[in-house]
Parts: sequence; structure tokens; C-alpha cells
Amino acid sequence: MSQQPSNREAIDDPPNPLGLDGIEFIEFSTRRPQALGQVLEAMGFRPIARHRSREVLLYRQGSMNIVINAHAEGLPEAVQPGEAPEIAAIALRVRDAGAAWRRAIALGGWAVPAQPEPMELHIPALHGVGRSRLYLVDRYREFSIYDVDFVPIPTVDPHPPAVTGLHWFGVVQYVGLDRLDDWTEFYGELFGFAALPEDTRFGILPRGRVLASPCGQFYLQLIEPELDAVDADPDETLHRIAFGTPDVRAAVRELTRRGVAFVESSGVHTEDRGALTQASLGGVAFELVYHPSPAA
Amino acid sequence: MHIDDFGMDTITLAGDLRAKLRAVREAGFGQIMLSARDLVGHPDGWRAAVSEVKASGLRVTGFQVLRDFEGLSGHLHEYKVDIAKGMLEMCHALGSTVLLACSSTSQHAGSDPDDLARDLRKLATLAVPLGIQVAYEGLSWGRHINEVTTAWDVVCRADRANLGLCIDSYHVLAAKTPLDVIDTIDPQKIFLVQLSDFLWNEVPSFEERMNTARHFRVFPGEGVHTDGVAEIVMRLDRMGYRGDYSFEVFNDDYQGLPLPTVAQRARRSAVWLAEGILRRSTPLPNRMRLRGTS
Repeated sequence: MSQQPSNREAIDDPPNPLGLDGIEFIEFSTRRPQALGQVLEAMGFRPIARHRSREVLLYRQGSMNIVINAHAEGLPEAVQPGEAPEIAAIALRVRDAGAAWRRAIALGGWAVPAQPEPMELHIPALHGVGRSRLYLVDRYREFSIYDVDFVPIPTVDPHPPAVTGLHWFGVVQYVGLDRLDDWTEFYGELFGFAALPEDTRFGILPRGRVLASPCGQFYLQLIEPELDAVDADPDETLHRIAFGTPDVRAAVRELTRRGVAFVESSGVHTEDRGALTQASLGGVAFELVYHPSPAA
Repeated sequence: MHIDDFGMDTITLAGDLRAKLRAVREAGFGQIMLSARDLVGHPDGWRAAVSEVKASGLRVTGFQVLRDFEGLSGHLHEYKVDIAKGMLEMCHALGSTVLLACSSTSQHAGSDPDDLARDLRKLATLAVPLGIQVAYEGLSWGRHINEVTTAWDVVCRADRANLGLCIDSYHVLAAKTPLDVIDTIDPQKIFLVQLSDFLWNEVPSFEERMNTARHFRVFPGEGVHTDGVAEIVMRLDRMGYRGDYSFEVFNDDYQGLPLPTVAQRARRSAVWLAEGILRRSTPLPNRMRLRGTS
């Protein structure tokens, strides 16, 4: 017998090379920030702060931050926010943003050149799917990035509680045909995501491959186009956000009271496992998924 | 006539891009392999070249060629990554889903296959957001990787969904690689096949292989390796390869002939392969593309 217990099966801890620790914020870009703001408020978010130099608003509920970016000044026409809101970025919490960024670049990520104004934070970023970006944020414990770049809206509670325990569950990404493996490897290589078995399903929507974050706090779900819609629907985008809640029915009741409409068709309708809001503003929908509470 | 799977390569033809596109289309081809030079050498800039390609209606078989990428370190590696990114962006703008990368000839390149695989893995990761597959080709005068067998080994080590092989009949025949090794390759991982014949029986040295490859290739069926090219195509077809065949024909004489004349030679070759070798029949109208065909 050896003195030390041997690791016969070479089982390591789940790899989390960047010290990933959940989602810091999700950014939408749109030319109609008020319209999207109304949708977010119906979902329980509150505007709490404005960006110092750009047309950017910070919304919050519970542990979730959503940034609406309507900043167009100085941007080329092609990258200005469009009418329909799109998910423009996911900001990931990491142990050391600089180190995480360098590691991702060394492995084949594309750097996004940052353009901070004087006294603003430089948040390292990578190109994600389509026109989207992946930010890496390490200042979320002692003080936050919002303390530097944002001015609080007076008289507003900076920490509005979550409606029926809503929290980040994940983000749904549309991918091209036969692109599930490409994107699975992309997120695996750069961030340590791991694909769950093919038949793993959360919520009520029937399709897609689920990738679990190495921190165990959220998921990405990759969805291919229907075979008969390949030519009409080739885009790759971050498509929608999913919120976890310990009680889907209670959440649907509360959100309905606030004016949110849910899809109630024969195929997709509210169940204990999940629900889907009706799309508005040209495609903004949110998914609710039964999920007791965010992982610690 | 079913020559949909065959295409020409701009490097075969003289003249400007517009003339090449027209000649290829008028010869009845539906696709064309493009070079970076076609784009960056365009008098109105590379984006104008992209517009011309799109207006031609031809599908882009692939975009070439990233050279000497793998095996470098330090600032040489950083430099090549920048070059690769530029090529990926042009490839993406063209709507091409295949970037051809050929094995390094650089004396500065290392030989450890795991290092080569790591670099190709990085290239593949860079290509993911742009929707591009990287086809890695072993040049028959590559410094460390100079046969399809070793190229396949590196691709397997890298193990990326969007990294596969380009098989070029010239390099297989020039290096005298036994043709039965093709059967050991996963057909799903062959992203491109380039075909050409050539005029000499033997090309033993790297120097001769390079010289022949760059000046004396001919279309399949026009040289002395007709049987070899036919066998390669038949093996690929038998094992389930259903991708594109591009004629990679560098030939100084063809650069001096009218474009329609050269394109007709290419067409004869495509018809010979499609009907004489692969025995393809005329496709049904509105042919459906089914996924996962094998």
C-alpha cells in the first residue's frame, strides 16, 4: 500500500482553465433602446444606471445585469445597431481577465480592439458568433465595472430583487447546418465548456445541443436550422436568453400580470418545465426554464 | 452532362479575374477555386473582386493558399497568424467555406507532429466564427509533412471538426504514395480533392517535384499518369467521398493560350472523369442535397 491514495483513474476536477464564474452581463444593441427597455421592465428588470459617455443603459434584477447599447456615433453604418434588438455580447466573469484573454488569443480567438474613452475601463473582448462579442470581466467582487463606467440613476434602488427568483440559465445560439461540432469545440477550447449528452433537455423546447459552462452556472444551447429552411435561415446569432426559475408557473403568472405574453401553441406552451415569451420587437423572446437556483 | 462536382482553378488561366470567371462559366462549370492573388491583385481592390465573383454565379470551391503556417514559434508564428487571419477574412467575404493550407516548406519549422497539430488546431479555431473549414494538404516537397499519410496523421492529432485534408493527386503520384493508403482516410474528413496529371514519369527529388508542379501539370487524362488519377478518383468515390474535385493545373503553356481553349480542355477532362470513370448519370432536376450522405 502506498502512503498516498493514488488517482488510478486519472479523474481530474472539471477543467475551468479561465476560472469562469458565471455571466456578468448580457448586452443588447438596438436603435430603439426605450422599446427594448419596456420589454425588459415587463420581465422584471429596472434601469439603474447610465453610461458616462455613450448611449448605454444598465438594467438589473437580482443577480442579472443587462446592458442596452444604442451607441451609434462614430461607428460605420454596417455595425450600427439595427431596428430589431440583437444580443451583441456576453460578458463572462473570469479569475483574471487579462490572462484569460491572452490564453484565448493564443488558442485561436479573435481579439476585438477596445476603444475606451479616457478614464473608462478597457474590457478585453473576443469575437463571438456573428457580430457578437465575448467580454472577459474580472472586477465583480470588491467593486464592479459599473462603478467606473456608469452613473447611477438617482432615487432608483440599485439592487432590484428578482421576480420569482429569475436568474441566468443560459443563452441560445443559432448555428449553421452541420456546425454543432465546430461551435462545441470553439467553446470547449477557449473556455472549457463541455457538451452534455445529445438527449439532454431543459425547459420545453425540443431541439439543440447543450453545452455546460465549466463553472456550472449556466448553459449555451446550440441550434441548427431545420433542414428545409437551410437556405432561408443561414444566420448564426445569439438568439435568446433563458432565465432559470424555481417555479415556472408562478413566474408565468407574475410576468403575465406585468403584460408579458407567452407562447401557448400545441407544440410549445407553458409547463412546469418551462415557458417561452411571445417574440416582440422583431424577434426578442425569453425562455423560462425550471431551475431551482443558480449554482454556487 | 453531370460535371457539377468538378471545377477549374484560376491559377490555370491567364488574364484578369473577370475573363477567368467568364471562361469557366461558359465552359459549363458551376464552381471555381480562387487564389488570394485574384482578389488582392484586382485593380479596384479585393472587395470589388468579391463582387465580381458573386455576380458570376459560380460557387467558390475554396480559397488558396495559406503557406508555411505550422511549426513556427515566437514572432514567426505571430506573423503567420496575422497572414492566416487576413486570408480567412477574404475567404469568408467570398462565401467560400474551404481554406486550403499546405504543409510547411520552411526550414524554420519544427518537426514535432504534436506541435504541428497544435498550430493547425489554432488555425481551425480561428476559422470557426467565420464558418470555414481548413483543408490541410501535404506538399510532396514539404519539409516534414510531404505525403498524404503524414498530413492525415497531423489532422488526426489536431482532432478538430473543421480541420480536414486536401488530397492533391499530383502530390500523391509524385511522392509515389501507395494508393491503397487513401482507403485508410475517413471520407468525411476530406474537405477538397485537387486533380491534375503531369508530363514526366518520375519526379524523384523535391526540386523536380516543385518545378514540375508549378509549370508542367496538365488536366486529368492529358498526361502520363492517367491510370493513377483515375484510380484515385475511383477509390475516393468508392469510399464515399462526395465533395468537390478541383483541377489544380499549373501549366506555362496554358497561360499562353486563349482562355476558352484551356477551359474546353478542362471540360473534356471533367466529362471523361464524370462519365468514363465515375459513370455519373444526368442529375434529376432540383436535385436535393441530403445531409450525411455516404
